[in-house]
Amino acid sequence: MNRIRLLAVLAALTLLAAACGDGDTGDTTATTTAPETTAAGGLADLGGRAVTVAVENAYTPFNYYDDAGNAVGWDYDAVGEICARVNCVPEFKEVGWDGMILAVSQSQFDMAADGITITDERKEVVDFSDGYIDLEIRLMTLVDESRFTTLDEFKNGAFVVGTQVATTNYDKAVEEYGADRIIAFDQFPLAVQALIAGDVDAVIIDDTAGVGYVGESADQTKLLEGSLQSDQLGFIFPKGSDLLAPFNAAIAAMKADGRLQEINDQWFS
Amino acid sequence: MTTDVEAIDAALQHRAERGRFPWWLVVMLAIIGWLGSLVFFDERFTDARTFILPGLVITIRATLFAFALAVVIGLVAGLGRISRFTPVRHLCITYVEFIRGVPILVLILMVAFVVIPPIFEAVGLANRLSFEMRAVLSLALIYGGYIAEVFRAGIESVPPGQAEAGRSLGLTQGKTMRYIVLPQAIRNVLPALGNDFISMLKDSSLLTLLGVGEITHKSRLYSGSSFKYPEAFLTITFLYLCMTLVLSLVVRAVSRRLDRG
Repeated sequence: MNRIRLLAVLAALTLLAAACGDGDTGDTTATTTAPETTAAGGLADLGGRAVTVAVENAYTPFNYYDDAGNAVGWDYDAVGEICARVNCVPEFKEVGWDGMILAVSQSQFDMAADGITITDERKEVVDFSDGYIDLEIRLMTLVDESRFTTLDEFKNGAFVVGTQVATTNYDKAVEEYGADRIIAFDQFPLAVQALIAGDVDAVIIDDTAGVGYVGESADQTKLLEGSLQSDQLGFIFPKGSDLLAPFNAAIAAMKADGRLQEINDQWFS
Repeated sequence: MTTDVEAIDAALQHRAERGRFPWWLVVMLAIIGWLGSLVFFDERFTDARTFILPGLVITIRATLFAFALAVVIGLVAGLGRISRFTPVRHLCITYVEFIRGVPILVLILMVAFVVIPPIFEAVGLANRLSFEMRAVLSLALIYGGYIAEVFRAGIESVPPGQAEAGRSLGLTQGKTMRYIVLPQAIRNVLPALGNDFISMLKDSSLLTLLGVGEITHKSRLYSGSSFKYPEAFLTITFLYLCMTLVLSLVVRAVSRRLDRG
């Protein structure tokens, strides 16, 4: 009896898997039949192909859960807009940040969008799109912070800075303040929480994300005047990805016709 | 006929002895030796090793502090668990069941971010308890719950005749517990305590969530900037295995001696 019941369960599971699988293959057959052509505006046509996009969903305002529990943000809108222009279908996958670059370099995803700073070290393992946003690394502090008012005062005091593991912000903090004054959390929201709770004196963060967090907690936090470093953000792809050229063309078109600025205005103000 | 039986006996005994030889230990030592040679002699590992090794101090320090605290909490809660005084008993059962019902990862985040800040604010202390101390407190509270059960089982494993004998000699209940039951109970729980210590050493890796610079955190920091994931994670695997293997051999030796009596 047991064995028969087990078989029945297995059969049901197989059917279920087949049903799910059918949905997937249905999608891809529909998408791969279209020939590669050039769409309007001189952009490539990817023929409706599915593109897996790694996001963290914990990096306001690029990708995060809004109060209603929906995953939203700049990355969703920007990648959605690019895909609309080059005819692809984004499939967002939630991944932890510190393994994300490695996962993309190993082609586990077609690309990643997470406000990723373009650096030479990272360029050795992945391909970057053209930069789409300029950013400054800055310090986020409490609104009523009075112990320091400038970057230099912070640096010369014995203040502790919070950040996230495996970020350019962490690397910059080591360079500026030394490893002993840093607490590197698993995600930026924990660092911001530690700031609000008084566990750290500041959070070192890209202003792009910093503006997002300040927007969510404007009565409590602010960004300190001045910049520690200027960088650019880009999407990452596995080395040699054929998505790179179409995405760069679409980004250029969006910069030219002002659509990129519109999306920026929506999320960074 | 008898010679056949003797031959079979001898063969069986030979096989049993061969089966008793710790082959697993040989394989483990080979693996550890190979990892160790990579970590210490392969120059690709030099940077990872120099970056990660200082974290060992924090791993060991946090585990020792947390375990000492957990044994105290566990002893108190374990005794309370079998108290005749109903409110105390149920309070201790509540604590143990609460701890056992929530994942360690969740408890660490909760103690560090939800429980400790308001408590420290309430008693007027500046909210400056380091994350390492919070981590130690979290681990101690969690393992206190597990160790309470270890002590309870240990005390209950002492035959009731022992306590009765103590009472009939005119010792008070407290003195019976202290001089007669507990010494025997502690002997019984040593192997289980040792295993909990090993578990705690491994669970100290969860402290990376709080940004505490133990070896797992160090290896994530290193690999995050350098992308040298194999170097980072093989190094800490080697370090954890060295520590846990030694500890587990000690626990085995202790329990074998206790078994012999």
